[in-house]
Amino acid sequence: MAEWNAYYRNEDDEEEQEEGEQSGGEYKVTGRDSLVFLVDASKEMFIKEEDGKPSNFDMTMQVVRSVYTSKITSSYRDLVALVFYGTEQSKNPRNSFKHVYVYHDLDEPGAKRVQEVDELRGSKGAQLAAKTMGSGETSLGDALWCCANLYSDIKLRLSHKRLMIFTCRDDPHEGDSVKDRQGRTKASDLRDTGVIINLMHLMKPGGFDVSLYFRDIITPPEDESDLGLQLEPCAKLEDLQNRVRAKEKKKRVLNRLNLCLGEGINVAVGVYSTAVPARKPPPIKLYRETNEPVRSKTRVFHTQTGSLLLPSELKKAQVYGKKQIVMETDEVDSIKKFEDPGMFLIGFKPMEKLKLHHHVRPAVFLYPEEDDVKGSSCLFSALLKRCSERNMFALCRFTARRNYSPRFVALVPQEEESDEGKGQITPAGFNVIYLPFADDIRTLDAPQLPCASQEQVDKMKQIVTKLRFKYRSDAFENPAIQQHFRNLEALALDMVAPEDIEDLIMPKVDQIDTRLGPLVQEFKDLVYPANYNPETKPAAKRKTADNGGGAEKKPKVELPEDELRAHVQNSTLGKLTVPVLKDACKKFGVRTTGTKKQELIDALIAQLSS
Amino acid sequence: MDVGFSMSNSAPGEEPPFELAKKVIQKFVQRQVFAETKDEMALVLFGTDSTKNPLEQDGQYQNITVHRNLMIPDFELLEEIANQIHPESQQADWLDALVVCMDLLKKQTEGKKYDRLVIVLLTDLCTQASPDELDIIIDNLKTAGITLQFFLPFPAGDDEEGGGDGDRGGSGHPGAGKGLSREQEQGLDMVKHVMLSLDEEDGLDEIYSFRNALEQLCMFKRIERRPTAWPCQLTIGSSLSIRIVGYKAVMDERLKKTWITVDAQTNKRDDVKRETVYCLDDDNETEVQKEDIIQGFRYGSDIVPFSKVDQDQMKYKHDGKCFAVLGFTKQSNIHRHQFIGNQVIKVFAPKDDEHAGVALSALIRALDELNMVAIVRYAYDRRCNPQVGAAFPCIKQHYECLMYIQLPFMEDLSHFTFPSLENKKFVPTEAQLSAVDSLIDSMMLVEKDESGEQKDMLKVHHIPNPAFQRHFQCLHHRAVNPGTPLPPMEPWLKAALERPEVISERCQAPLEEVKRKFPLTAVEKKKQLKTSAQIFGKDTGEPDAKKAKGDEEEEDYNLADIAEGSVTSVGSVDPARDFRTLVKLKSLPFGEVCQQLTHRIEQLLSNKNTHYYMKSITCIQAFREQSVKLGKADLYNSYLQSLKRSIPNRGLEVFWDLLVQDAVTLISKDEVEGSTVSKNEANQFLITDEKKEEVAAPTTEDTGDVDDLLDMM
Repeated sequence: MAEWNAYYRNEDDEEEQEEGEQSGGEYKVTGRDSLVFLVDASKEMFIKEEDGKPSNFDMTMQVVRSVYTSKITSSYRDLVALVFYGTEQSKNPRNSFKHVYVYHDLDEPGAKRVQEVDELRGSKGAQLAAKTMGSGETSLGDALWCCANLYSDIKLRLSHKRLMIFTCRDDPHEGDSVKDRQGRTKASDLRDTGVIINLMHLMKPGGFDVSLYFRDIITPPEDESDLGLQLEPCAKLEDLQNRVRAKEKKKRVLNRLNLCLGEGINVAVGVYSTAVPARKPPPIKLYRETNEPVRSKTRVFHTQTGSLLLPSELKKAQVYGKKQIVMETDEVDSIKKFEDPGMFLIGFKPMEKLKLHHHVRPAVFLYPEEDDVKGSSCLFSALLKRCSERNMFALCRFTARRNYSPRFVALVPQEEESDEGKGQITPAGFNVIYLPFADDIRTLDAPQLPCASQEQVDKMKQIVTKLRFKYRSDAFENPAIQQHFRNLEALALDMVAPEDIEDLIMPKVDQIDTRLGPLVQEFKDLVYPANYNPETKPAAKRKTADNGGGAEKKPKVELPEDELRAHVQNSTLGKLTVPVLKDACKKFGVRTTGTKKQELIDALIAQLSS
Repeated sequence: MDVGFSMSNSAPGEEPPFELAKKVIQKFVQRQVFAETKDEMALVLFGTDSTKNPLEQDGQYQNITVHRNLMIPDFELLEEIANQIHPESQQADWLDALVVCMDLLKKQTEGKKYDRLVIVLLTDLCTQASPDELDIIIDNLKTAGITLQFFLPFPAGDDEEGGGDGDRGGSGHPGAGKGLSREQEQGLDMVKHVMLSLDEEDGLDEIYSFRNALEQLCMFKRIERRPTAWPCQLTIGSSLSIRIVGYKAVMDERLKKTWITVDAQTNKRDDVKRETVYCLDDDNETEVQKEDIIQGFRYGSDIVPFSKVDQDQMKYKHDGKCFAVLGFTKQSNIHRHQFIGNQVIKVFAPKDDEHAGVALSALIRALDELNMVAIVRYAYDRRCNPQVGAAFPCIKQHYECLMYIQLPFMEDLSHFTFPSLENKKFVPTEAQLSAVDSLIDSMMLVEKDESGEQKDMLKVHHIPNPAFQRHFQCLHHRAVNPGTPLPPMEPWLKAALERPEVISERCQAPLEEVKRKFPLTAVEKKKQLKTSAQIFGKDTGEPDAKKAKGDEEEEDYNLADIAEGSVTSVGSVDPARDFRTLVKLKSLPFGEVCQQLTHRIEQLLSNKNTHYYMKSITCIQAFREQSVKLGKADLYNSYLQSLKRSIPNRGLEVFWDLLVQDAVTLISKDEVEGSTVSKNEANQFLITDEKKEEVAAPTTEDTGDVDDLLDMM
């Protein structure tokens, strides 16, 4: 049990240690991302569907809210703005534009903003919008100009600038050619400053014709062959959310490197991480009096002289076999280095050789970087095609970063898949599956137990079939993280209690029971004898020990000093259990920083061997 | 270990058996030391000149020495083996030695718990052994549960050296007896007899040759961890539960030990103390006591104070340990590349509960036949957050189990879209595709051999983690040869990471073909390390004509300007030139001129535009150049230091990068006598690494002055 405990209790520490070495390491941030929602506030946006579906405006606000909260949870440093156009009222920094209402200027999203967006949702929201902003004339040119000012007012470095237009009107100026031209000019100005303009067009009776006007406004897609315009407008909230989500985050490459097939054949590839465990953000230390964040400074100094120690005055050491082995700091780094970052092709294997249980880390995704090496896409595409058709994977040696040791990986081909709405479900590329080394595989003693009869299996098959569902990877939210942010939200907004979360990974026991009905009992009758209760532990062994051995249940082990010293002498401390070691530490007044077994042992050795 | 006289005999050009045996022991002990197993070891030598063992009496058990009693091996033992064990000149009966070992094991393991007792004999079998008590010895070995391993200078079977796993059990030994003496042949027969009596089937597998053993011992032991059971119940709904036990089967393993920091002089850990202090983010870096610190979390732009106590109270809580089925789904709905976490857990029924075994088996087989998996909620215990994951059926020849692998939460996924590769520009031609095809053919790692069986040439999961091997190799080297540089990587390790030789030969031609068919040209990267001069250099069509003029005049500025007396203050058009002129004129105090210049620099920087950055840099360069000329380093150094501190707050990282690339650093002692900055510190200065900042701390201790200076300016 000790090992499991140790692992889990120290999960946080270990994670810190592993930071960066995880495939989904940190990105090198060179600036902030920014996103402006430019939302049409014309009357058409508020028209309610007959079947009780939300209005386009309502749908947009829900999406905006979900982006706000997701930014807060995942990348709070990104800047977001919400601007309405076609309003009656005007509100913008210098009030130089009519019919443009800057609801939120570009800033980090916070609790208050979420609340303010919430206020615009539903029928109450529509009323509020009508009261505060109203619907009036439309000038997309002015709106875009106003947005351009928002960007230029920002003193921070922006790495990625995006503007999303939400509208259900494909001809916003209703034939006013001056306004049309103004809009086009301003859009092109914005694009010139690096702003990417996307259109999130919504349902309109008679269909939304992108080519009528917006084709000239938006940024042409990166992929020329495909017009990229999602020609179908979004009718469903889910679609809109997916579309926004796909665009909202900038693809960030973990690193770019070469996939080397052989001498002089280097394909430039980018490594992307598509599934990284989200974690609770780390706490920030605050000064009690003012609640302002404090910085920490760590100094290393000599215990005796008290003088500060430079890195050159420090070395690194490890103890093995009672001997301290010392190395220079740069030697420690050099030990880790095998080769420069890159991927080296070893060979190919049929897919069935990729074992399901050979899993040690989340996978990453590989896509060619034509900008680094011209011709990469073509060779990459050829490899992908053939591997996919021949059902093969490529085995490679992969060094992800400098001073990282190599790992073997399987490059598994993935073909592009799109949904009916032309949205991409999976992109074309290789998934990079990390393979285990011999050290990673543990030898287990599998128990020898009888197998089930076909009758028993068939009964279970009925149960399984009753409980079938279509698994989707994005169906489950992490309850721990959700709860954490709800708590923060409640505190930030002075709410009485945090909003309840739904624990989606809780089995719906009642539903399962009704669905299964008598099947459970039938199965139990087939496999379990009458007096068998799987809930109770078969404590037979322990009981006899209890009866016979008397008070030996949890012996309070007090280790005599000489025995402990003998253990230190023979370096057999490892044989003692953690509680015993802890007791020993207490007894000898050894202060330990950690609770790991090794740390306790080290501390005891340090104390007792001197 | 036999250290007797015959062990040092060898054919010319061959290493004597003694040396080989010693190496085997050394390698073995090394592995034990670094694997930090709790196995204890004793060393008994026989054939020694002296006698030292508990059984010696009346001339019995002579020339046998217990060198070390049973304890955990360490470097002391390694040193003793290296320095104290030499070939000696007596001979001793190996069966006697065996008895001494058995006695030692028996006495020294009394009252302790042991999984396994092993006696390893390294001998050349050259001494006549008396078989009188052989049967008694075998009986005793059996009752004590001791297993034996023999290491001999020669292979015991015909095909041992061939490395095959073939049938070695044959009684005849035509090939093995080659060159063996009569004693050795007799000895070998006895060894075989003993081994087969102990284990009829695989007994002979435990007889090794020195050479073979050395090959196998060359790598450090892989990290082994004792599997720990995780008992739980698999539940389906409220009333169906099956008792299970989980074990980690695959796990991204890490080294157990981390590096500790020691003082370079004394090599003592206690001499180094690390202290963390907290301070406010203000100009004075006001220190804050640890007690006055509370914790908070970021909620977007807000920072919410949230104490640990509150956090614990409000955090997500659950009922602890569980393995509950949420439902079942087709295996094809689960994507391999969406596996998350770093482990695979195998789930069995408890070994003493066959009812659970049957129930679990029914589930495993049902899933297997339907090609489905169970989606489960998994929580290790109350303290750990629950996960969602898939339990796959796994049916092997000898056992059945479920394999649990964690799946992502919605929050963990990022959906990126990539341009389609079905782009005219990138679509490969038929000729190109066939080049790739022949490359794949030539590089197939799995092939059918003559008997039609599939052979995998490179099972990477049989390769030890090279990082660990290298780590231990270096540690071992440093421990044994202190003061010498670290060794190069072991050749076998290097080779293990490369293409198998067959493949690399076979793929040469197809690779050449691929090279011909697919033109690849690296795109020149201008972006990397461009200095401001490269960006705004004179040759790149500098838009600002005035500034270009300034650049030209960098050194030899126009005296006419001075003569005209037109410059009275540092203007905004060409501040660097004005500054130089004013310094030259000495019409104003140096400090005053510097203040005017820095004022301009600050103005320029507030524009946040690369053109202005460039201008600022020329100003700073002028500042530096004049300061060096006049031998006054303080104003410049202080300004640059305060500028550096303000970089993060003002978002001037881009500007700083340019400055770094132009290597505009502090003025060091070497340049100006009065400077308090050493050359090294000046060089370090441009590195905006946190660690480096700590190091530089002593030099900037007189921050008070800097602030005063800024006030003055």
